[in-house]
Amino acid sequence: MIGADDLLALCKEALAEAGEAEAEICAVSRHRGFARFAVGELGQHMDIDEPLAAVRVAHGARVAEAGTSRLDRASLVRALRDAAEAARLVPETEGFPGFAGAGDALASPPRFESRTAHATAEERVAILAPAMGAIRAAGLVSAGALETTARAIAVATTRGCARAHEGTVASFKVWALETAGAGGAAGYGGHMHRDVTKLAVAEETERAVRVARLSCDPIALEAGTYDVVLEPPAIGELLEWLSMIAFGAPEMENGTSPLAGRIGERITGAGISLTEDPVDTSDLGFAAPFDREGTARRRVALVEDGVARAALYDRTYAARARTASTGSAMAPDASLAATIGPSALQLGGGDAASVDELVSGIERGLYVCRLHYVNGLLDPRRAVMTGLTRDGCFLVQKGRITRAVGNLRFTDSLLEGLARCDGRTRARSAVPTWGSDGATCAVPAVRLRDWRFNGKSQERAKLD
Amino acid sequence: MASPFESEAPEAALRAGLERAKRERDVRYAEIRFVADGMERLRVRDLRPEQVTRTASRGVAVRVLGDKTWGFSCTPGLDEESVVGAVVRALAIARASGSLATRPVPFPPRPASRGSYTSPVAIDPFAIPLEQKLAVLDAPVRALLGKGKPLRSAEAWMDWTRTHKRLLTTEGTDVTQTFTYGAHGMQAIAVGDDGATQRRSFPTWQGGDGFQGGYERVAGIDLLSQVDRVAAEVVALLSAEPMPAGTRDVLLESSQVGLQIHESCGHPTELDRALGTEISLAGGSFLQPELLGKLRYGAPIVDLVADSTSPGGMGTFGWDDEGVPAGKRHLVREGSFVDYLSSRETAAALGRPSTGTMRADGWNRTPLIRMVNVSLEPGAAGGTLDALLNDTADGVLFETDKSWSIDDVRLNFQFTCEVAWEIRHGKRVRMLRDALYTGITPRFWRSCDAICGPEEWRLWGVTTCGKGDPMQTMQVGHGAAPARFRGVTVGSGGAA
Repeated sequence: MIGADDLLALCKEALAEAGEAEAEICAVSRHRGFARFAVGELGQHMDIDEPLAAVRVAHGARVAEAGTSRLDRASLVRALRDAAEAARLVPETEGFPGFAGAGDALASPPRFESRTAHATAEERVAILAPAMGAIRAAGLVSAGALETTARAIAVATTRGCARAHEGTVASFKVWALETAGAGGAAGYGGHMHRDVTKLAVAEETERAVRVARLSCDPIALEAGTYDVVLEPPAIGELLEWLSMIAFGAPEMENGTSPLAGRIGERITGAGISLTEDPVDTSDLGFAAPFDREGTARRRVALVEDGVARAALYDRTYAARARTASTGSAMAPDASLAATIGPSALQLGGGDAASVDELVSGIERGLYVCRLHYVNGLLDPRRAVMTGLTRDGCFLVQKGRITRAVGNLRFTDSLLEGLARCDGRTRARSAVPTWGSDGATCAVPAVRLRDWRFNGKSQERAKLD
Repeated sequence: MASPFESEAPEAALRAGLERAKRERDVRYAEIRFVADGMERLRVRDLRPEQVTRTASRGVAVRVLGDKTWGFSCTPGLDEESVVGAVVRALAIARASGSLATRPVPFPPRPASRGSYTSPVAIDPFAIPLEQKLAVLDAPVRALLGKGKPLRSAEAWMDWTRTHKRLLTTEGTDVTQTFTYGAHGMQAIAVGDDGATQRRSFPTWQGGDGFQGGYERVAGIDLLSQVDRVAAEVVALLSAEPMPAGTRDVLLESSQVGLQIHESCGHPTELDRALGTEISLAGGSFLQPELLGKLRYGAPIVDLVADSTSPGGMGTFGWDDEGVPAGKRHLVREGSFVDYLSSRETAAALGRPSTGTMRADGWNRTPLIRMVNVSLEPGAAGGTLDALLNDTADGVLFETDKSWSIDDVRLNFQFTCEVAWEIRHGKRVRMLRDALYTGITPRFWRSCDAICGPEEWRLWGVTTCGKGDPMQTMQVGHGAAPARFRGVTVGSGGAA
């Protein structure tokens, strides 16, 4: 993998050789060791390179982009020339302010750990062996993945922006299952850290086994409203969807964001604060300190005590909205789609000492470990979402978890649900999202009152 | 075929990699796959060029089956040293992983495949001037925005992908394939005085409007011809009544039948999911092997086929990424569940031949079982949508998907659509917004009592089907005619 400094030097050389007056290169080099296991076997163990450079050239406000997977000078120069040719043909982009200059000094949160960057296939196998063995010994079926990723990113522009950064992510997720693929009892565990040697593999495996055992023989519960405790992976998935529909400047501009036209208004419960914090220096932080355009990232209060405060912008959308970029242009993916959104959304913690404390405040309700196939496009203005419970759903009676419940479908407004949130743990966890750039949500467990469930799942198909 | 992207396979390097793999005594099988993807993404939003992008990606994937299990590596380098290096790394991974294997992966040999496949393309989209394509997008956006408030935002897009693929295996397979894919559509967003928003899209939801073919397909889509209808409907939705909750007879237009197939037939018939190897992303399947040939999946009129030969389908090819030739097979025949989408490894676990569905998303991903064109055969009795409406005394017609969700064994699904129409005695009597329907897969398909005929059958293309870990997206197809389902639970997605 090309290191960040070498990547930056390459970008500068290509800009100089291409000779375009207004140009930008964002180059990413990512190497992933990915060991994916299922049915008790390590069946997909992969060594993956993901090189990508996105270059933009502007002629006035006419902007075009080209991308290449080849991180050498000749390929970058060719991409710059392709973009330049296209830029002559496209209409102007209203509000385009030019590419970034040298900009502010960067924060330097800790992000890199060489033990993750240099993890070998043998080391990944050695980490997984006891986890898979423990699940087999418990009479359950294992599945999951261990990822060790190193990433370098560099941004250079003809206006003097020159940024380089390296980071690592180690991620472990594990399932203990009653059946390999037919559903039934399941338990999940997961942990992210920049240092692969600090992953809580044994603890998370033990948790998956424990939850799977508790999940056996579920009762069927009728649809209706229930008080719920959502573990971090569950609330994290809901907030990931909120990230996609709520905080980006395009959704503010077209009016579909629940924040559009409501900055300064209460949109959810008092006490709920959502913050984009890409410069978090704790173990919850994974984001690069600058965005795809080279803008220094900063902490942005999106929702404070339930009041909408701000959205996220890249340079062009910010210029049109007469504000400053928040450094929220996401790193390019293979389609080079221009995405604006959080890379490190955080939900503020509360004062509950534990999940048990949250559960103890429920007379009759549900404890939900994880969600499945959430979709937040039902009514984005109200953040109405649907999805199902997965990998552990339990009945709570008189403040105690009593027995497993068959999976249920919910359909409810997340913002209205958070308005009914009356408990959050102090402790928070990083939950990986599907976004690029090592995006995460850092969230506590939460207690929501009267969450609406409208269906049951895992009813076995009946044979004729 | 002309291409703006470098695409020539590095023949000597690929051969050198293959020979390196053959030298190892513990290599049972190896495949070397060169892939060059060229993509053009054009988006005009509110008269601005939101995205004007061309990107090229190429490299070599290596998958090796050692004594016990697989190893995968890849390289963006096209020289001999890079490709051989990837073979060595893949082999090292296979050996390291083998220490955890409880049994050798079953992988029966098969005859070598040889030949080439090229998408039928009448007009090369990459030869059309950029400004011409942008003008095709600008015109409908301008026309939509010209309608004024409450229409707030309009967007049109055109995506083109050309993929060159060369596959060499230690069994002697040697195939070359060139694909051209496109997608083209538009959407409008209206915002009411109360801040409520509605969306209307054409020809269907963004991501469901793909095809395999060339620029000749653009004229047939003709966005401008639909501007007045799309604008009128998105504005009318703002004042439409929400779908009342209840149990109704439901009619789905063909693209919604396509998405219903995708989620409730395509994915659950993937044999890797059924056997449990996709748990770390999307879960398993209720269609377990013991149900093969026994489960009544749908009504007797329901025939669902996996057809990787359908002309123009996004899931059409010559061979899959394991060298298995394309073909057409029933997954559901006369309502009975009869087969899976499978790979050579998973099919062997059931003592069956592969149905040839392994495909990878680019050069840096391993092949997975992916849908091909999974389609509902048109009704034998034929008939138009109008005839089906006339045959419906009291029902609801759903058009154009808006949200989708299904459980981790693919039983409990819930969809909302952009628009629904209440049908009384064959007439569309009122528009309904935020329309939701939900059900349990086999119960739903068993309630199907009418499928329109070939004249209403259309092959849709999904450009964004996600699967795998790390995530892969794939082009897949779904052919369908409108169909009717009796006694379905409906409600309002906005009334939660």
